[in-house]
Amino acid sequence: MALLARVTCLVLTTLLAIAGCQAKTVTYDFNVTWVAANPDGLYERKVVGINGQWPLPVIEVDKGDQLVVNMYNGLGDKTSSIHFHGMFQNGTNDMDGPSMVTQCPIPPGSSFTYNFTVNQNGTYWYHCHTENCYPDGYRQALIVHDKDAPFANDYEEEFTVTMSDWYHTLTEDIAPSYMSLYNPTGAEPIPNSFLFNDTLNVSIPVKPNTTYLLRLINIAAFVSQYFYIEDHTFKIVEIDGVYTEPTEADTLYIAVAQRYSILVTTKNTTDQNFPIVTVADTVLLDTIPSDLKLNNTNWLEYSKSAPYPQADIQVAQAQDLVPFDDITLVPSDGMPLLPEPDIQINVTVIMQNLMNGYNYAFLNNITYTAPKVPTLYTVLSSGNLATNSEIYGEFTHPVVLNHNDVVEIILNNNDTGTHPFHLHGHNFQVLDRQPPVGPNFYSNLNGGNPVNYDSSNHTTFPSVPARRDTFVLPPYGYFVIRFVADNPGVWFFHCHIDWHLAAGLGMLFIEAPTQLQERLSIPEDHYQACRAAGVPYEGNAAANAQDFLDLAGENTQQAFIPAGFTARGIVALVFSCISAVLGMAGISVYGLTDLNFHTMYTGPDAPNTTESVAMDNVQPKTEENTG
Amino acid sequence: MYQNIFNVSIFFIVFRETLEASVVVSVLLAFIKQGVGKSADDPTVYKKLVRHIWIGAGLGFLICLVVGGAFIGTWYTLGTDIWGASEDLWEGILSIIAAIIISIMGLALLRLNKMKEKWRVKIAKALEQSNIRGKGWFRHFTRKYAMAILPFITVLREGVEAIVFVGGVSISSSAKAFPLPVVCGLAAGSVVGYILYKGGDFMKIQYFLIVATCFLYLVASGLFSKGVWSFQNHEWVKAVGSDVSEEGDGPGSYDIRKNLWHVNCCNGETSGGWMIFNAILGWENSATYGSVISYNLYWLTLMMTVGLMLFKERHGHYPFLKFWTKKRNAAPLAQEEQKSPENEIQQFGSSDESRETKEALVSVV
Repeated sequence: MALLARVTCLVLTTLLAIAGCQAKTVTYDFNVTWVAANPDGLYERKVVGINGQWPLPVIEVDKGDQLVVNMYNGLGDKTSSIHFHGMFQNGTNDMDGPSMVTQCPIPPGSSFTYNFTVNQNGTYWYHCHTENCYPDGYRQALIVHDKDAPFANDYEEEFTVTMSDWYHTLTEDIAPSYMSLYNPTGAEPIPNSFLFNDTLNVSIPVKPNTTYLLRLINIAAFVSQYFYIEDHTFKIVEIDGVYTEPTEADTLYIAVAQRYSILVTTKNTTDQNFPIVTVADTVLLDTIPSDLKLNNTNWLEYSKSAPYPQADIQVAQAQDLVPFDDITLVPSDGMPLLPEPDIQINVTVIMQNLMNGYNYAFLNNITYTAPKVPTLYTVLSSGNLATNSEIYGEFTHPVVLNHNDVVEIILNNNDTGTHPFHLHGHNFQVLDRQPPVGPNFYSNLNGGNPVNYDSSNHTTFPSVPARRDTFVLPPYGYFVIRFVADNPGVWFFHCHIDWHLAAGLGMLFIEAPTQLQERLSIPEDHYQACRAAGVPYEGNAAANAQDFLDLAGENTQQAFIPAGFTARGIVALVFSCISAVLGMAGISVYGLTDLNFHTMYTGPDAPNTTESVAMDNVQPKTEENTG
Repeated sequence: MYQNIFNVSIFFIVFRETLEASVVVSVLLAFIKQGVGKSADDPTVYKKLVRHIWIGAGLGFLICLVVGGAFIGTWYTLGTDIWGASEDLWEGILSIIAAIIISIMGLALLRLNKMKEKWRVKIAKALEQSNIRGKGWFRHFTRKYAMAILPFITVLREGVEAIVFVGGVSISSSAKAFPLPVVCGLAAGSVVGYILYKGGDFMKIQYFLIVATCFLYLVASGLFSKGVWSFQNHEWVKAVGSDVSEEGDGPGSYDIRKNLWHVNCCNGETSGGWMIFNAILGWENSATYGSVISYNLYWLTLMMTVGLMLFKERHGHYPFLKFWTKKRNAAPLAQEEQKSPENEIQQFGSSDESRETKEALVSVV
């Protein structure tokens, strides 16, 4: 009997092993607390640490694994959450992470478990997704290994490289000066330094004549980076988790939240070390302090004894670099262009001031304002009304998508800045972007007017378009993307510059709400976190669980600034005119009474002083002489 | 715009001072005509005295031009670099100073007859003194040219006053904005003085003067309001930093909390016809509570001042001060009478000189 059991066990495990899905559960226990760090050597500051360490631990799983992250918020004074950037969370929308979208913010002292299957491959990252959070260091790489990747056997070793901007002040202390009456142009706070793998002066040891895989991730809050290796080219094999046909390039433009995997083949020599150069995109910076180091040099270390030269920057300014245009990449799975869309969403990025004098970011005329109940919980508690976008509030900018709709998003940019837009829960086909990445990227600024997408006049869409989950929107330009709504859930679509997200540059897709209600059930610890945070988890955007169509009390955006005279302005103007008229009447009266003096001094009642003057031959009546 | 070549405040200051000077000259001429100095008897003496008057006035005027030109010239070469980043602050201070100066002198325009009579009395009293003292070359000189010295000193004094006031109101305007209003002010003042002398239609002159004064006070109230506006703008620019200029007319170019009205056009600082509104009425496309309230307060104060002055003229004292005024007047009337000729003489310069002048005049007589 025992023998049979053992044999069965063995057979089963072997079968499973043969099946290849050694699907295991990888568990991480994250105790989130404040620690101190000084990554740029310039300033020690409080950062968010996990299990007492910073930089944070890299999450590594294999494709198909079950990832479990048990998070405990030990920060004491700050809410938190984790978003696993790029993870589809298909069937697990409640594990996506954005606060007030798919969960409540996790208050200090609460625990929260993220548990989902990683049915995808590539390079990703995880970060906090509550307000003013992840720039405090709460972000790190998430690598999904895939031994079946098309290039799996093409490299000997892999390295993960994260690039970031870095502030010396806590984000919550910087934020009031950003959203402020005295920042009417919405100038983003300038970082104090830029980091490479959360430090500086990194050497990546390499052997000659070897191919390495470098996973590049931009984990910054704001600034994009140009990336190149002196004297080396490389092959792009993956973008945002999508394998691509290996394509040669020498310079990359990596915006916030984007990832690239590249294969670098080293040279035949061992007598030199080559700078790996990252150049900050200075076009994004409103002002550039003189002590800000914009370029960073790290090294491909061929030899420990060779010198480590600083990068030899040939260009005068960052935008003179010519990066590779990711829209030209071809996914290696050959997924064709999606058919004509079932729903087309046309939104325009606008930055505008509202009545409180702050500069807000809009998609069309809505600046994203968080609801009182996380939108996913509204879906789950609204019964038949889940498909009625009204219940989600006006200012969360919700759009309901039907299950398996082909969705096309046309995003126009009426702002002069670039914006890396990210869609949760999906990657999307990138069909068109004008102006393209390259030397003409900023050319629309010369015209002084934004150029919006014209559906009747555009470049032909590629037959096998590139796919990714974070795509850069050009200044005064546009892009067009498509995806299939095959993942029921509430998905955030937003600019990944953290300041702009705080200013409201985002919208929500309520995808297949009916299917979502059928398939999803929320674990108790999620609701427990809501109770601990005092956030309701049932009801519409106004937390009204009785009448979902009654949105009285929902969080609204500030009023628009009136274009012309308001009532009080007209009153003031009228009053001023009346004052002036009355004043002039007074002056006229005063002037006319001068008549009295005229008659007084020259008439029969003229005072004595005239007569008392002894003047020879003076006629008493002098007025005929003097008027 | 037109502000670059015609500064309205300068025009009015020069106008007013020229008017007063020409009133003095016309009074003198009238006296001559009436026979002071026995000119009625002798035409050549008359002509000589008239010539004296004009030479004196002319000389005074010339010196004023020279002094004025030099003063303004140095003021400008030294002054224009100082303002820099606190431009709004300076503009605010100067606007308010200009408004106050104009306000004070403006009402005098409407008491021309009073002004004329005052001068007549002064000159007549000076002429009536009959103390003859002292000998010497200087005495002889002043005696002989009394009719030239009087207008000379008057014109000089009025002119210097004008220069100082003009310097005060015009620091923030360009040097180009000088010559035209000065010339126009001189011309206008002389014309009105001439009309007064010739005895033209009093009413027409008075209407003209009333209209001119109303205009003047519109400008002054606008300046006052703009001064307050400039202070508030200065605070805003300091708080926001250099980004304000990026915003042009739009939101962010002003402090929305202190704003009373704002239109995204019609900017009184930069756009065409609205700049005239700005210069004359103090119009701003982005008005603050401060600028509007100060505008209304200005007119209120003006009306109260006019009211008080009218009351005094009618009743001889300010309201509620009847008893106090009477008490003040009851005290040495005699001393007052003794004092006043002395006081009037002071107007003509040093008391020595004026006594000499008096003697001279008398000797001419």
